[in-house]
Amino acid sequence: MEEKIEKNPEIVGFACSYCTFKASEMAGSLRMKYPEGVKLIQVPCSSRVDPAFVIKAILEGADGVFVAGCHPGDCHFIKGNFFTRRKIAALKEMLDAFGMKDRLRLFWVSAAEARRFIEKVTGMYNEIKEKKNGG
Amino acid sequence: MVGKKVTNGQIESALNTFLAAGDCLVLGFEKDGTAMRHRVFKNTLENMSVTNHIFALNGGIYLRRLFSKGAKIILLLRPCEIRSYVELVKLSQIEAENIIAVSVDCSGTISSKADDVPVDGGYDVLSQDPGRARFACANCRERRGVVGDAGIRRDVNGQYWVLPYTEKGGTFLALIEGPEEEVSAHMAVPAAGKGAVFQVDMAEFAKDFSRCIMCMNCRDMCPVCYCVDCVFNGDDYLPKGDALFNKIFRTGSTEMPRGRDLFHLIRMYHVSQTCVGCGACEEACPQGIPLTKYFKGVSERLQGMFAYMSGRSPEEPLPFVTFLEDELKDAAD
Amino acid sequence: MKIGVFICHCGHNIKHTVDVETLAEYFRKYPHVAVSDDYPFLCSEPGQNMITDSIEQHGLDRVIVASCAPSLHGELFKDLLRKKGVNPFLLRRVSIREHCSWVGDDVEENTEKAKRLILSGLYGSAHYVPLEEKQVEVNKSALILGGGVSGLSAALFLSNMGMQVYLVEQAAELGGRVRELKSVWPSRKAGADIIAGMENELRGRDNAAVFTSSKLSNFEGFFGNYQATVATPDGEERFAVGGVVVAIGFEPFDPQIKPELFYGRDPRIVTTLDLERSGDGLKLPDNPRVAVLHCVGSRDEQIGRPYCSRICCINALRAAEAVKERFDGSYVESFYMDMRAHPRGGEEFFEDTQEKGVLFTRGNIAEIVPEPQGIVVRGEDTLFGEVFEREFDLVVLSIGMSAPATGKEVANLLKISLDKDNFFLEAHIKLRPFDTAVKGIFIAGSCSGPKDVEESINHGRASALKLYGFLNLGYAFVDPFISVVDPKRCSGCRVCEQACVARAIKFDEEKHIAHVEEAACMGCGLCNATCPSSAISLRGYVDTVIADEISGLLEAM
Repeated sequence: MEEKIEKNPEIVGFACSYCTFKASEMAGSLRMKYPEGVKLIQVPCSSRVDPAFVIKAILEGADGVFVAGCHPGDCHFIKGNFFTRRKIAALKEMLDAFGMKDRLRLFWVSAAEARRFIEKVTGMYNEIKEKKNGG
Repeated sequence: MVGKKVTNGQIESALNTFLAAGDCLVLGFEKDGTAMRHRVFKNTLENMSVTNHIFALNGGIYLRRLFSKGAKIILLLRPCEIRSYVELVKLSQIEAENIIAVSVDCSGTISSKADDVPVDGGYDVLSQDPGRARFACANCRERRGVVGDAGIRRDVNGQYWVLPYTEKGGTFLALIEGPEEEVSAHMAVPAAGKGAVFQVDMAEFAKDFSRCIMCMNCRDMCPVCYCVDCVFNGDDYLPKGDALFNKIFRTGSTEMPRGRDLFHLIRMYHVSQTCVGCGACEEACPQGIPLTKYFKGVSERLQGMFAYMSGRSPEEPLPFVTFLEDELKDAAD
Repeated sequence: MKIGVFICHCGHNIKHTVDVETLAEYFRKYPHVAVSDDYPFLCSEPGQNMITDSIEQHGLDRVIVASCAPSLHGELFKDLLRKKGVNPFLLRRVSIREHCSWVGDDVEENTEKAKRLILSGLYGSAHYVPLEEKQVEVNKSALILGGGVSGLSAALFLSNMGMQVYLVEQAAELGGRVRELKSVWPSRKAGADIIAGMENELRGRDNAAVFTSSKLSNFEGFFGNYQATVATPDGEERFAVGGVVVAIGFEPFDPQIKPELFYGRDPRIVTTLDLERSGDGLKLPDNPRVAVLHCVGSRDEQIGRPYCSRICCINALRAAEAVKERFDGSYVESFYMDMRAHPRGGEEFFEDTQEKGVLFTRGNIAEIVPEPQGIVVRGEDTLFGEVFEREFDLVVLSIGMSAPATGKEVANLLKISLDKDNFFLEAHIKLRPFDTAVKGIFIAGSCSGPKDVEESINHGRASALKLYGFLNLGYAFVDPFISVVDPKRCSGCRVCEQACVARAIKFDEEKHIAHVEEAACMGCGLCNATCPSSAISLRGYVDTVIADEISGLLEAM
């Protein structure tokens, strides 16, 4: 009998230095656990994320990509994340047109929200994993 | 709205009056018996045609980086061309100050690549045989000459009208002889209905684009692909070495020519807010890829999110350079 | 290119879930990697020497340090490169502790993840270019928000050190909450006297300007050159400051949030603060029965205050002691969850109070019922597991600290963050407890979480000292991560200019291209992501760096 090998997804996350990356550091300091498949790229602000990066990551084999920044109104760069919201929402709409909407997520995670960070990335990982394994 | 009834002759004589002032140009269409093409007229109009039912390219492409150096220019083009002009004005690629953009009602166009396209006939060619219209025209969102500074419109009785939309449009109207009157007639070209929401899957995308040879003609002929140096010029954005083989190891295959999907998807995103859906890309594609379906489809979805329509008005800011604090509440997951 | 990869064990912190030797071995085979080694503590002196020696021996021009999070030891590793004449921005930090060894348990998986993370850093750093740290002049002046003990001590310290200080207090007089305290434990001095001493000293200085009944109305600029606008009763005042100490204090918990306490509806139910203000005026029988309730507005998840307020146990003890001292024959019972008399001398104070006859019952209060003859308190004694019901003449609520009411407003003006309880968030809970994420803006006192008077004073001084360290030279280095336009690629479409939040991008009409005002650029990279041809790019985070980092993370191995 063929043993079923679970396929683990690869998730690339773009994390704002001032909030989500800090939250992820705190999650580490608190020894919270999340799947190894989730890997972060640090950006100074979520608005630095060129939608081209997301497309590139997906085409290079990422099962999921997330862009994470400060809550709207809380941007360290004052308004950057409002632009992020427009761009990423538009990119989601575009991916939706190709049936790939679930590959991209947008999270708001403040520097204090280590637990929220864990919940968001773990939730995304599990959903994508289930889908990948034909769930 | 107030406008003037015109004949073809009146438009020509008005433009001739304009050209006679010197340092003035008209960009419009030329019909020389065997072919139709864009032409910039100086001094006099020769073989000028107000309409053009054959589509080879979008005249907006001639307007990129047009800094008129004092010359006055009248554009007499199709609505899709004027819309790309408006977008380029927003993107500072054109100095609009000395330009009067006149959009002419369009009943759709036939591809320049099609066989046996009659040069004569104008509006009537397609009204007799609507099946010959290009995909872009059959699904056009705005065929009415309602964009730009002024419009030349045709009512249901075949009567042409000149309608001013801006102060500059008023200048154009003043060039034309005859009295101003209230426009009450029904126009021949109606507003377009809402099309179906574009939806495909990656399998269909892969199939359609499998013929792509990455000549990038689609980009080069796109009126709103305005960058002087595209990110896809050179090698920087194209996967090479490990990056090229990565996907093969990971997923079992990769697109060829390398970076093909990346190029089209990123370009699709880049032009999503400015795309006027003219289909110039498809016309330029040597491989017959149905590009309009994708670019127009995606751009209509993305513009719809922000209640934006490319080229509708120079006052509407491009969606990606502005925002509302209270919007897209469900954007975040 | 000669790259050095250095992998830290962090003692056991990284080593126990990441196979560091395998990692070091793995990266040796990569082209351009001249040296790849692991070491128990790279931040230790021998660890640092290993890096500097390798730079010298191999002529390294890229240094990858895979260790703790990049926010830690940032300058330490940069200095190693500087010392050896290598541009410090050719250093790449990779976090394999906070982002790998601490968040996963499987050694094999973690090692694989660390490999990708380092590879990503390796690829990204290949596109690094030397960057120049810009030296900017900074204003040797500070804005202090809040004139409580914390703000006053910060202001005094800075003015002592010869810096111009602007102190802004929203109330009509200085002193904050401490002014209301009749006797500040443990010194037993009156709060008003403590404040008067500080205030007189500050007012006597010619380099300190004090604005009361005033508030910050606008704030812009960048580190060293902030422009603050303050609304004062005499109109708007504008001044340039190098940095800010935020010490806006706290808000006493309002027990009306918990209606079951009947606070405000029955005069026999008072808070510890009411007792301070007007305790002497309370009408009580000769031998009153008094209940003291601990943890009101603290350690209570249901009302969104899960934290310990740290001051209320001592305040409860002081209240009980005060009653006992005033009425010898009184019956005082204190209901507590845990006794947290943490400051020095607190435990002894607790014992003294017990000896004075105050009863302590560990219990949960279930219900308070005001009856005409007395207030009935029902609850459960959690030590004996018994239900009790007792009648009192007075109930004292030992209230905790809530986040400052103007916290959100100040946070928005200064662009600093709040934590989940709406206190100000520090840059790092242990290593940078005074800093915020914004350079030159510090937090002090109880606005960054509950603190007692002594702690608030110390916190204020510490923040002031940190700020002084930033400003005292009159110049500072700022990060070179700003945007730059490639004039050959710029189409002059002005989308970057329209998007730029800092208004740092200007349009050159003649050349028809954009250019960046370096001093105004905040370095967010929004312009880079908005420009379709990436003709404008953010130094340190250019497209190729991020694109290759993506490739590194996703590389199939």
